[in-house]
Amino acid sequence: MIALEGVRVTYRRTVALHSIDLLLLPGVTGLFGPNGSGKSTLLRVLAGLLRPGGGTVTWDGVPLNISDEAFRSRVGYAGHGSGLYDRLSVRENLRLFGALHGVRDARVEEMLELVGLQDRGGWPAGELSAGLRRRAAVARALLHEPQLLLLDEPYANLDDDGAGKVSDAIKAWRTPGRTGLVATHGAKRVKGYADAAIILQHGRIVSYRVRTPAEAPT
Amino acid sequence: MSAVSAPGGRGWAGKTLLLARKDLVIEVRGRDTLPPMLVFSLAVTLLLAFTLPDTSRPSTRIVLPAGTASVADVLAGFIWVTVLFAGLVGFARSFEVERHEGAIDALLLVPLDRSGLYLAKAMTNLAFIVAVELFLFPVFAVLFPIGLGAGVVAIVLLVDVGFVAIGTLFAALAAQTRSRELMLPVLAFPVLVPVFIAAVELTSDLFLGRPTRAVVSAGWFGILLAFDLIYVVVGALTFEFVIE
Repeated sequence: MIALEGVRVTYRRTVALHSIDLLLLPGVTGLFGPNGSGKSTLLRVLAGLLRPGGGTVTWDGVPLNISDEAFRSRVGYAGHGSGLYDRLSVRENLRLFGALHGVRDARVEEMLELVGLQDRGGWPAGELSAGLRRRAAVARALLHEPQLLLLDEPYANLDDDGAGKVSDAIKAWRTPGRTGLVATHGAKRVKGYADAAIILQHGRIVSYRVRTPAEAPT
Repeated sequence: MSAVSAPGGRGWAGKTLLLARKDLVIEVRGRDTLPPMLVFSLAVTLLLAFTLPDTSRPSTRIVLPAGTASVADVLAGFIWVTVLFAGLVGFARSFEVERHEGAIDALLLVPLDRSGLYLAKAMTNLAFIVAVELFLFPVFAVLFPIGLGAGVVAIVLLVDVGFVAIGTLFAALAAQTRSRELMLPVLAFPVLVPVFIAAVELTSDLFLGRPTRAVVSAGWFGILLAFDLIYVVVGALTFEFVIE
């Protein structure tokens, strides 16, 4: 369980997050809100990539700390950028991050197939279309089967087929005890599998709704 | 087998080598860093060849406004200024590949001690600097009357260690600023001064034909070793704070 208490982030004079209090339960939570509402900032705080100006973030009661290797091995994050090296092929990129996370090459092939990139594995990442790159980024984030998955706009630039593959990959990752936060403008994309939904506006949570057992996704 | 698969184990050393190899593979494919460094070095060398007067003997004195200097002093100064600027050109680019597409975020979340990230980047930068020197010193030896013995090689490698240690650290720091190309020299120059003064003094003595043993026992050698040690320790210990 991840708990945020009074988390505040300020960029110079702009307040990106206003004293956020949030209890993130296991399962997948959709994170919605207009541009500039603080979705990406919240994801970066949870990934440990951004230190909040105030407040605390704990995971199962332990303060979140990116300096802790054990924490890093449990987090999967895909931000705005793909996090891939243009000059390496998709497969080389995934094998690189796989090796750094102690993942076998067979898992790389599995992920390539899951996001529908098995035929493009040999392509340089820099030559992929924006949509295909997005799929590769999701595959990279899911590669080591993280306990905490943070995806920032995983459906950006994706066609229906690609979006379906990304959803399938997230559903395959989702097992009891794991926590995911998926920021997106496409609410209907995550509707099929999300357990909860958060709406952010101007750096404040204006709605946090958890599905009832009767509404639970299949 | 993938060009960037891990050599051997997946421990700290294996992951560090893997990251260094990744950078070298990217450079081999993209040629974004080394060619500008080499072109800069060649341009400075050729300019110097046309500028210096009779340089047939290293002990020839050249009259300067502030006094006189030997050809060896001037050549040592120019060769290290060239290495310094070429190095900074390369170091400034070394974190570009990580910034592009947010790869640095993915890298910061891998379970590898930050010293591994630092060492990997430093090893790549060292490879680039050594490549420049392998080109630059022979060209200098052809154009000017300098000898390249084991003593020069040892001094060059020691200078490189300190240069790369602090250059990599400041490159990581500068990469997080908007005017990173400008920031790197501004940050690095003052800190690198002792190493490069020692480098000039030591290589100048060697160019003049002084025995390596006598040069090594001089005070500048101790200064160079001391700063190397300080820079490596400071670089390894502070990189975590800089990169995060």
